[in-house]
Formats: sequence, structure tokens, C-alpha cells
Amino acid sequence: MQRVLAVMVAIAFVLGLTAVGCSKSGAKSDKIKVGFVYIGPIGDGGWTYAHDEGRRFLEKEAGVETKYKENVPESPAAEKVMEDMISQGCNVIIGTSFGYMDYMENVAKRHPDVTFLHCAGYKTGKNMGTFFGRIYQARYLSGIVAGMKTKAGKIGYVAAYEIPEVVRGINAFTLGVRSVNPKAVVKVKWTHTWYDPAKEKDAAKALLDEGVDVIAQHQDTAGPQQAAEERNVWSIGYNTDMNSKAPKAYMTAPIWNWGPYYVRQIKAVKDGSWKSESYWGGMNDDIVRLAPLTANAPEGAKDAVDKVTKEILTGAQKVFQGPLKDQTGAVKVKDGEMMSDGDMLKFDWFVEGVEGKIK
Amino acid sequence: MEAQRVCVAMRGISKVFGKVVANHNVNIEFYEGEVHALLGENGAGKSTLMNMLAGIYTPDRGCIEINGSTSVFSSPADAIRHGIGMIHQHFKLVEAMTALENILVGERTGFFLSQGRRRTRVEEVAARFGLWVDLDRRVYDMSVGEKQILAILQVLCRGARVLVLDEPTTVFTPQETKNLFAIIRRMKAEGCTIIFISHKMDEVMEISDRITVLRKGETIQTLDKHHTNPRHLTELMVGRAVDLSIERTPVAQGDLLLEIADLVVADDLGHDVLHQITLQLRAGEILGIAGIANSGQRELCESIVGMMKIRSGSVLFCGEELVGLETREIIARGISMSFIPEDRLGMGLVASMDMVDNVLLKSYHHQKSVLIDRKSISDRCRTIIEKLDIKTPGVHHPIRDLSGGNIQKILLGRELDSSPKVLIMAYPTRGLDINTCHTIYDLMNEQKKAGVGIIFIGEELDVLIQLSDRIAVMCRGEITGEVDASATTREELGLLMVGQRNEETAGEPA
Amino acid sequence: MIHFVRRKEVTHGHAVRVRLYAVGLSLATAAIFILLMGLDPVKVYSALVDGAFGNEYRVSETIKKAIPLLITSLGIGLAFRMQFWNIGGEGQIAMGAIFATFFALNTPDLPQPLLLILMLAAGMAGGAFWALVPAWLRARWKTNETIVTLLLNYVAFNVLIFLQQGPWKDPAAHGFPKIANFGPNAVLPEVFGVHAGWIIALILVGVLYIFMRHTRTGYEISVIGESERTALYAGINIRRRIISTVLLSGAICGLAGMVQVSGVAKTLMPQITANVGYTAIIVSWLSMLSAPVILVVSILFAALLEGGAFIQTAFNIPEAAANILQALILFFVLGAEFLVRYRITLKGVDVESVSGKGKEAV
Repeated sequence: MQRVLAVMVAIAFVLGLTAVGCSKSGAKSDKIKVGFVYIGPIGDGGWTYAHDEGRRFLEKEAGVETKYKENVPESPAAEKVMEDMISQGCNVIIGTSFGYMDYMENVAKRHPDVTFLHCAGYKTGKNMGTFFGRIYQARYLSGIVAGMKTKAGKIGYVAAYEIPEVVRGINAFTLGVRSVNPKAVVKVKWTHTWYDPAKEKDAAKALLDEGVDVIAQHQDTAGPQQAAEERNVWSIGYNTDMNSKAPKAYMTAPIWNWGPYYVRQIKAVKDGSWKSESYWGGMNDDIVRLAPLTANAPEGAKDAVDKVTKEILTGAQKVFQGPLKDQTGAVKVKDGEMMSDGDMLKFDWFVEGVEGKIK
Repeated sequence: MEAQRVCVAMRGISKVFGKVVANHNVNIEFYEGEVHALLGENGAGKSTLMNMLAGIYTPDRGCIEINGSTSVFSSPADAIRHGIGMIHQHFKLVEAMTALENILVGERTGFFLSQGRRRTRVEEVAARFGLWVDLDRRVYDMSVGEKQILAILQVLCRGARVLVLDEPTTVFTPQETKNLFAIIRRMKAEGCTIIFISHKMDEVMEISDRITVLRKGETIQTLDKHHTNPRHLTELMVGRAVDLSIERTPVAQGDLLLEIADLVVADDLGHDVLHQITLQLRAGEILGIAGIANSGQRELCESIVGMMKIRSGSVLFCGEELVGLETREIIARGISMSFIPEDRLGMGLVASMDMVDNVLLKSYHHQKSVLIDRKSISDRCRTIIEKLDIKTPGVHHPIRDLSGGNIQKILLGRELDSSPKVLIMAYPTRGLDINTCHTIYDLMNEQKKAGVGIIFIGEELDVLIQLSDRIAVMCRGEITGEVDASATTREELGLLMVGQRNEETAGEPA
Repeated sequence: MIHFVRRKEVTHGHAVRVRLYAVGLSLATAAIFILLMGLDPVKVYSALVDGAFGNEYRVSETIKKAIPLLITSLGIGLAFRMQFWNIGGEGQIAMGAIFATFFALNTPDLPQPLLLILMLAAGMAGGAFWALVPAWLRARWKTNETIVTLLLNYVAFNVLIFLQQGPWKDPAAHGFPKIANFGPNAVLPEVFGVHAGWIIALILVGVLYIFMRHTRTGYEISVIGESERTALYAGINIRRRIISTVLLSGAICGLAGMVQVSGVAKTLMPQITANVGYTAIIVSWLSMLSAPVILVVSILFAALLEGGAFIQTAFNIPEAAANILQALILFFVLGAEFLVRYRITLKGVDVESVSGKGKEAV
């Protein structure tokens, strides 16, 4: 009985395989359907939540149908998810994590008639564009708030990985801090995770033990916020408004606002004007923002932030403009010079005022 | 017989397991205040019948009447609510709990009763029936006899008026048996009905008032003890006349085969379990070894075949030292060991495997080919089946599904198949019916005549006395004495078994 | 009141019947859940099947999912046979993957067949190495292998993370903690649209089937699993057999790791194990440790996982809901194994006698 069953399955197995790879899914409609591939759960209150807000905004504003899948690993399993979405009628796929890049590239080659948008990567193709936001602008603003708030002159920064995006954020934040509080330092702790509430909270606690009185973060959970709340100090969030997570500590956060960008892209796909690009928008495009300041923010912070915001919008403040010194005090960008986008995308050194190391 | 009132009646009971008819149209009545023995060979359906009375099985057909009204039980708890309690061969006690906790566990009523009042109630019951057991002692510290008393107290406290004892004396010393019988008489005097399952003829004749014989799942006859005798009962059980005497074959004793000197053995934890064991075995003799369960019998067996760490001493086989050799090498020299543990399957056999794989166990490593050859083994199995009259659906049937007697025959058959020079047999007839026992005794005598030296570890003293040439007695890992089997008595052995010549301590654990 | 009574014997027909009932019941219960979500159960179920087997691509994806499950189930099933509870499949897969990756990264220019064989051997060595510790501890000190193997999973995982973020980090990945993609020679070729891991898996099914049933070693493993004392009496060197079997078990799990890095991911990443080491425990048990049955069950299991992922996007239901559906189906199927061995009676009534079925199996 067992043996018969096994033989039958083995035969089916082989027959199934021989047929593989011959045909591709066909049915397409003119209606736009967008598939979102999420790295975390929507309920993370952070990165994925921000993207899902964008998705809902898109549904409302552009009137298109969307699909999504949570917790998609950055492994070949992501290819299957995209393929499933395409076979279910999606003609735009949006991947919201760096690690999907290679898999999305593979799928994009197989489906030239589908449009792919990849967040935070660097590979593009005829039908695959990449997009990201200049969150460092908002981080600079949040640095101003933190710099005005700190009494100890020491600020903790819980950071995920030693990648240019994170390094850039730390540098922008530090420049913001030092613009109002030139002697303050920013201490960095690496967690090597994007999403681990307990680990991130522990890292924040370790920083608090070193005497910092404001916690900032480049993480996707509210763990560091809670650590600040428990120790009765202050915090700067990330991704979304985290006021509800730490009402006594939270002051503000650099946040994402993906919705308008999604709407623009989908409209372009609809009217056929979409072209592959590497998009890196800033506050001008309203893709990044500083969340409203809470009552925890220091007095005068709102005015200071509003003033600099205007400068950023007019282009008077570029954040990474000379003179910029590294941790040793050596001048890296001379006075009057600007850092190019290319240099910013490769950031591998800390500005003066950061206490921490890039491996 | 004072009162002849029927308290329990089983009428037209049938029970089928798969294709096996366990009980067919059984009719039996139990009187109030009697000791009623159920006698029958293995597989006669005694246990199945009683399991139905105790609510473990539900009859396919027929009914059970308690005090004249028909009752259906779906669980043992149901049965005990109707006053029926069963004491199983393997007591269903929680080892880590005290006696009192075991009695109180599972009691539904009296949730609000204080521990003290419940204790008083238990003590009252114990006193009424003369069941002396230390209520604060943990079960794992108890001897088999004490556990038995506790199990009886447990069902009595739950209100049982009818007690079923399933082969209660299997692992008892004569003294423990005497003690149990006193308790049974006391319960009877208190008006309880005791149903006593056994196949030990002498015990049945001693304790019971009436005897019902079952054969092949049916009631053959219910008899008054005074109107029958062992021979008649045996004929009813087996269905034909049998010779009940065990023959002690006189054989000229041969050379010294096995010489064990000052053997000291420790267990895994480093405690000595055998102390200074000295024994000799000659070709063509049966050396009996008596002792209470767990007095070192298993360790002795395993030491000889090299399964245990030997601390000091020697085991010489035809002058050659066995200590230090691998089990496989010892067995290859012609020493065979078969040990039937209480669960009958723990050692020597693999329950889920078929007969072929079990017989293969001793010979597979002789095979030279890459793949195992099972064909030749199958043929040998068929020879063994024929020789020992084993009842099995086939050589490829898992032995777990066979009856205990047949499983044991497979084990013995395999061991004899290797034509050993020394045969160590521990409890070879454990739980077997009379007929099969005699087959095995005959086999042993046959081997003896052929010049094999046999170490026979047994629990029934009468059999040991009748079958052995010499008997060594073990107690707490020591040999407490060695006697000539033809000149000894049960009492002498019983005293050696508890290690002291003092009657009072006879029930203590070993 | 409900009682559970152990069955004295289990007939084949009965077992099949109970399992069929269980599947039916699980679908019915899950259907209620689906209705509560406002969806059509028939549509969801057909989408489930469609997602796993609907077209050639999906079939090949399901098979790709089944391959590591199958190999790992075979591996840990071997240890289970001996009553050695190897919960360490996850760690052994990771170690196998790490060892195989070492050669993929350091000797990428060897000829493909040579490099793949080297990686195969390295993967098996890695898995075996990771199983060696619990095996030795158990054989020597009788430690609880369940705990040791389980904890070693975390150690292996962190070794992988360390390599990914440290020594093996791809400098070309813009700082992202990522190990470089393998060169073409380190990638398992595709045969009929699926990487050649399926051939390895099928060969393994056959080899293990013969190994367990027809070789002396396989026989010894079965004896040890059933009764150590019997094994001792049969003269089996138990310590050596335990160690060698667990090493083999670990080696097979390590092989699964090699197949995953070389055939699927084409690099080493923390997601490589994807809980296969744990899922394989369920597959092994459902299959009663029989190699041919493991083949069937792992394909069905992979289909359940793939189909479950498909319906999430097809009906836009949250992952949690899809997980509940999968769990409901598993609950009944696993529960059926209990009912194969036990019988339910209501107070005083034998349920099966009343229904007139299954009497012979009581």
C-alpha cells in the first residue's frame, strides 16, 4: 500500500516537472492592480505600517485595486509572492525592502509588461524603478529638537546596520543637534536588526546607562521609545508618529509619507507616461516629514524647526554642505561645497560629534 | 455458604476483538460474601470478562446485573459507583505520591472535607478490614505486597463491595501470599465478594469457595470447591486429561561448565547490586535460583552475558574467563540468556517487529551480505513455530499482537535454536497457563538430558523444588543459601529469600 | 460525559477512515471560519489548490518547497527511529549551508561537478558536525538531546548572522549585510525546471528505505529505538550506533542546507532554514517515520504552505487568518492520529457501536 502510493507520487512528481517551465500566465486586463510586498506585519507601527498607509491612500486617491502580503522574507520566497500577485492580475508590484532587489530584478525580467517599483535599492531596469526619500532632511530637523532638549549634552541613537542609509541619518541628526548645541555628542549603538523590539529596547537601555537623556532611533519598532518612557527621559521616533507608544517621552519623529508618491507613479503607469528612474525625493515632494511636535518638545523648538524647514524647502539648507569634519576633525567637505548624491549614497564615515564606529 | 444471594450476574456476555472472540455467551453469578475463583488458561477470556465487569470494556452483547438491576458501565469510575473495584496485576498507583494521596486522588465527593477527616475515614476502613499500610509512605518505597494492600484499600475506600483480584500472587513470596489470603478472609467476613483470577491450582483450592472454569472464552462449569479436585479442574481447563507432575530427570552430572566466583557488580550509578556471588553449574543439571522479585536476578543474568560492568570476581566458562568479553562474544561461546520481565517484552524481544526480525536478532551479524537475508530466517521461524506449537497469524505479524504465551515461546524457541551449552532462563513461565508451562518444563528437561547446563530463575517455589537439582536463594544481591532441591521445603526457601530466619519480617521489602 | 479509551488493535481500514473523516471535518470547520471572514469557502479552497498546483510554475515552486522539507524529514526521522529526539534540524541545515558556502565563496572557479560534490560533502560534514555534540553528550552522559539540539539551533543561527555581518559580508552590497551571490559553478543545475535537489531527495528516499529495512545497520537502529536492553543483549554497540546514526541524521539535514544555498538562494542568508527544521518534525511524525510516506506528506505539506500564501494575496486576507486556516487543517489531521489509537465513548454509549461502524476496530 505504502509502496504503491510512493511510486504513484514519484511518477506524478516527475510528470509534473517535465511540464514545468513551458507556459506562462496569460490573462491581463487594462485595469491597474497594485501588489505590495511587505517585509513586516502591518501592525508593526513602523516601516510597514507607513507603507500600508500609503497603500490605503493610493486606493482612495487613485481608485485602483491593491493587494498586499505581509512578512515576506528577503529570500527567493519573495519571487513566488510576486509571481502569485502577477498571476492574480497585478500589473504593478511594489517591494518595500532592500533585500527584495535581486528577486524583483529576476521577476521583472520575466514579466516585461509589469511595472516594478523597488524601495531603497540601487538596481533598475526597463520596467523596474527604484525609489526612496531624503529622510535625512527630517532627521536634521529632529536633531534640532533633540539638541535643544538635552541637558546632559549626550544623545543616544539606536541604529540597525552600518549601511550608508543609516550612517547618513546619524550624520544628519548629529548636524541638526550641533546646529543648536555645538558641544553635544551622539552615541551610537548597533543592533544588527531592523525588527526586534526587545533587542532594540535593550540597546536603548545600555545607552541610557551611559548617561544620555534623549533617545533617537533608526529601527522599525517602538522598543527604544519605551525604554526612554520607562526611564523618564525623552525620545525621537521614526517611520510614523509614535506618540501613542511613549506619550511621556516622545517629542517628534522623522516620518514617511509614501502615499502621494504612489499616486503619482500609478497615474503615470495608467496614462503610459511612466519611465524607469531612481527617485530620491525630499521634503519638497512631501515624501518625508517631521511629525508634529508634542508637548514634550522643548520651548522654542517649533519656531526653530519651522525656520529650518523653510530653508530646506527653498534649498537654502542642504544638510550636507561644507564645512563638514569627520570624527578626527579632518575636513571632508570644504566650506561652500556640497556633498553630491553619489557621495551621500556611499556614506561610510561619521561627522564630528558622533561617538561610535562603522565596522 | 451462609448467604446465597446473587449480587452480580453476567448474562450472555460476548466480546469480540477484531477477528478474535474473547468471550462468547458467558454466564456467571457471584454470591454475596463468597470467594469465587476464575480459572482458565491464558487467553481463556478471564481478564477480558473481568475488564468488562470493571467498566474498562463494554460487552458487545449480554448484560450485567447488579443486585438484580441491569447496569451499563462506560468507565472504571462508573463500575466503582456500582460497588465493583478491580485490582490489576500492575497496580495503577502513582509512584511519587503517598499512600493516602493515592487513595484520595480522583475522589469526587468531599471536596470541602478536610484532609484530617478524610484521613480518619481511610483509617476506619483500614482498621475494619485489617489492612495495615503506612499512609504517609510513598509508593516507590513500598514492596509489592504493600502496594497490593494499598490497592485493595483504595478500592474499598471508594466503596467497592465486589473486588476483582487479577492474578494477585504472581510475584509474591509464600509469606506475602499468606498475608493476602488473611486479608481476603477478613473481607469475606465483612460481606464482600472477592473474585480471584488465577491459574495457580493450590491457591485456588486453598482460598476459594466456588470455582468457575473458562475455556476458549466460554464458561465451562461452576463448581463448589468441596466437590472437585485439581486434576478435575485442570482437565476442565485444558479440555483433556493432563499429567500434572513435574519430572526431575536424573542425569549423571557432567563437567563443570560455569564457575562464578566472588562476583561484585555495580549499576550505572555505581551502587553495588551483586555482592560476592559464587555459583557453579555443571553440564546436565538445573540450578534453580529463588528469590523475591528484584533481588538481583536480572543483574546476575546480565552480568554473565557481559551486559553489566563487573567490579571484581570472575566468571569462568569451561575454564575460560568471560569477564571483559563483549556480549556478542560470550553468546557466541554457547551461552544463552532469556529473561522474561514483568511486562514480558522489555528485554530480548522487539514488540513492534515480526517474528522473523526477532529471531534475526541473534544471528544477523553473522550474515555476510550487504542486505539482510530474511528468507532463511523465515524458514527457521516456521520450524520453531511447529516445534513449540506457537499460535501466530504468520511469521510477518508484529509479535506485540500475540498472546503472552506465544511471545515467550518465540523467545525460548530462538534461544534454543542456537543450541547453547549454558541456558539461563529467568521466569520462562511467567504468566503462562499450566499446559504451556509443562511444555516448557519438558523442554528444559530435554535440554538437560542433552547435557546443557541450565540456570533456572523462577518464582513458583513448588516448581523450583520439583524441577531443579540444586537451588540457590538470592536476597538483596547476595546468595543467602544453597540447598539440595530434593531435600528442601517451601518454608526453608521462603526464609532464605527474605535473608533472615525470622518469621515476623517476612513481608518486608527486599 | 466523554471518555477516551485506548483501542486494543488498529485495523488498516479503520485508520484510513478516521484520517479521511479528519480531512473532511477540518475542511468543514475551516469553511465556517472562512464564511465568518465573509468569503466563499469553495473559492478559497480551490484557490488553495490552485496556488499550489495551478500551473507549472506553481508546481515547481511547491516542489522547491517540498525538497528541503523532504530531505530534513528523512534526516531527523532517522534519529527519531532510534528515539533520539533531534530537534536540531534547523541548526544542522544552517551549518550544512555554512560549510557548503565556504567552498562556494572560496573556490568558485573549480569545475562545476567538482565544486558541487565538494559543497555536497561539506554540507553533510557541517550538519554532522553540528549533530556530533548532542550525540556524544547523549551517548556519553545521557544528556537530554531535545534541549541540546534545540539550543544549538540558536547557536548555528548566530554563527550565520556573524558570518553575514562580518567576515563574509559582500563589500559590493553598499554596506548591506549580505553575502555575495554564488558563481555559476556553485549553483545546482536545473533539471525539468527545478534545481537538481529533487533528484538528490528522491535518491535519498530510496536509499533510506532500503537502508532501514534491509541493512544490518538499519535493523540495529530499529532495535535500539525499541529497547536499549534488547539491543545490548544482541551485542549492539549502542553508543557507537547512536553517535553514527545521529551523525548521519545531521549530515542529511546539512545536505538540505547545501541544496537550499546552492539550488534556491544561490547565496547564504539567515532565511535559508525557513523553519524547515521544525516543520520536518511534524512531517516525520505524520509519516510514521516511513521514507516513502515522508515523500508524500512533504509534498502535501509544501502545498499547504504555498497554497496558504497564495490565498493571502488572492483574497487580501491578513497573514494571521491564513495561518489560522493552515493550523485548523493541521489540528484535525494531527488529532486524527490520536483518534486512530483511541476511541471516544459518551456516557454509557459506545459512539461507534451506535453508528454501526468500526465495531471490528474497538
